[in-house]
Amino acid sequence: MNKTLGTCSLVLVMSIALIGMPGCSKKSVQSGGDSQSTQGMAKGGSSDSSKSGVGNFPDTGVQSGGGGLRGLDKNPSEERVGSGTMLAKVDPSSSAGRQMDEFRAEASLQDVFFAYDSWTIPEDGRQALSRDAEWLKSNPSALVKVEGHCDERGTSAYNLVLGEKRSKAARNYLVELGVGANRLSVVSYGKERPSCNEHAESCYQQNRRGHLVVKTGK
Amino acid sequence: MTQLKLVSAWFGGLLLLAGVVGILESGAADVFLEATRPDFQKISLGVMGIQNAGGPDWLGGRIEEVLKKDVKRSLVFDLVDLPSLGIQTPDIGNGMGTGSKIVFKQAAEKGVSVLVWGKAGLKGTDTEADVNMEGFVYDSGSNELVGGKRYAGSRSVVRLMAHRFADELVFRYTGEPGIARTKIAYVAEQGTARELFVMDYDGHDARQLTADGFLNLMPQWSPDRRFLIFTAYRNRNTQDIDMIELATGKRWTVISLGGLNITPALSPDGNFLAFASSHEGNSELYRLDTRTKAIQRLTINPSGDLSPSWSPNGKELVFVSDRGGGPQLFLMGSDGSNVRRLTFEGDYNAAPVWSPRGNWIAYVCRTHKEYKLCVISPDGQKRMQLTTGPGVDDSPSWSPDGRHLVFSSTADGKSHIYMIDADGKDIERLTFEGTHNSAPSWSPAS
Repeated sequence: MNKTLGTCSLVLVMSIALIGMPGCSKKSVQSGGDSQSTQGMAKGGSSDSSKSGVGNFPDTGVQSGGGGLRGLDKNPSEERVGSGTMLAKVDPSSSAGRQMDEFRAEASLQDVFFAYDSWTIPEDGRQALSRDAEWLKSNPSALVKVEGHCDERGTSAYNLVLGEKRSKAARNYLVELGVGANRLSVVSYGKERPSCNEHAESCYQQNRRGHLVVKTGK
Repeated sequence: MTQLKLVSAWFGGLLLLAGVVGILESGAADVFLEATRPDFQKISLGVMGIQNAGGPDWLGGRIEEVLKKDVKRSLVFDLVDLPSLGIQTPDIGNGMGTGSKIVFKQAAEKGVSVLVWGKAGLKGTDTEADVNMEGFVYDSGSNELVGGKRYAGSRSVVRLMAHRFADELVFRYTGEPGIARTKIAYVAEQGTARELFVMDYDGHDARQLTADGFLNLMPQWSPDRRFLIFTAYRNRNTQDIDMIELATGKRWTVISLGGLNITPALSPDGNFLAFASSHEGNSELYRLDTRTKAIQRLTINPSGDLSPSWSPNGKELVFVSDRGGGPQLFLMGSDGSNVRRLTFEGDYNAAPVWSPRGNWIAYVCRTHKEYKLCVISPDGQKRMQLTTGPGVDDSPSWSPDGRHLVFSSTADGKSHIYMIDADGKDIERLTFEGTHNSAPSWSPAS
């Protein structure tokens, strides 16, 4: 019974993401709210969540307490101290099976640069994106990913949101210019993949960008 | 009449002055007192020494050094330097003989109430033999042995023996488990990748946990310390929330909804996961019931909502929203009800973390274009800036005893990890290697 409930609410969430799924749509409107209409991000969600979208959770609640301390003793018996760290050795091969989608930089595609704290596309960015749109139109099979990046100032977490806003702003502008939305994906790297590592405005400027890369192979 | 006016003007001026001074100065005093509990007087403790009893030269000294630092960091004890108080610590050898009586008397006179003595040696004769250690605690006033511990283990656990003994000391005098055996998870740059690591709370013994060659971000501990939950990039392209089991290295995806999926935080009882996801458009907060897997959406607005942190009782969440323009802290019930704004000072407040005792929320505040650590009380009445100077401070995380924070900072150039007392007083740098260490998360106490 519980399981059914869980699955149902999951379906609910999925349907919000995929809009217009019949059946649960009434309820989705109630819980989904108004975000669909904002900033033209409506069809942003990918359909990766086609399965459940939620993996298994172990029980992580605290079982005991006391920290395994036995207290001081006037006549202490010997306690064996184990290696203490309950850490597994990293097996690099464990990630070998992780399939990586490959993207490459394309010389003809220009990045968009943003002002501090901002995700508004400036005039020179619009010009760059217009040229990018032309290239995309003349290369109709190319799939492009727009990476949103930030400079090192600000928090890691908020910069991921800011990076997403930048990548979506660039993506949306390309769509406005007539590029098919299905050819454009977005990802935010926040401040985690800077192109420049100095603590200077000249460097910050280069890192506040929407970076366009092309998917390789098929 | 004139006199009355004068007096009232003078009095008013005084009040005004007091008000300003109050904001600048006494706020700090409040925080300091409460961070270490208003009624708590540090206990004066002296370490007479951990003597070598047949081990390698470094053995006793190493244990003594680690123990002293642990005692100092506990903030429960005031570690005194006995020789500088004129208290000589004779070689007491294998027991507390007549010489020790004099030490106790001198210590008691100088107000040093707890004395620690110990010795360390090898458990066998061959060079790879295990190490053993004894530590004893004395009350100087009564000349009484309070109690002791005897440990044995391999040479690789020497620091852990000292940590364990330090935690026993804290436990004895406060009933709390201590933090000397806690750990800090963090992110370290490796080339262009960022991988998860775990180190001891004092920065030693760092171990790598992931080896993706890509980005693994912002780890958080499960309440039982067995798992980390963090943001990863599947196919380098799609953000997921993953978990890794520390003991086995087993790793799997727990949230895979599409879009941005960041800032996971497990509730104190482990029954709920709060996180931010943009799979419905823009970044919103969600709450997953980890048992039924039902997801409840907590925020509904066109702005970015992220970085949920649970109150210790699991009833409230503090989070970041830029619904007012720049990022600010907000509070709400853990079911999404009763949303109210917490921060009004400054145009950038982010990365909140609720203290284990519940009385403070630490966060990153932007002042004079620098990103620094601040704390605010959950009622918004008290606020204090903990760090100053240049550099970007980020990702504060509380020690389980609520007396310290760990955070990352570029104050020394590259991003490294630092520990700071909750009153903002002592800062200690924990990492020295590597090109970029960030996103520290302090484990719960064991």
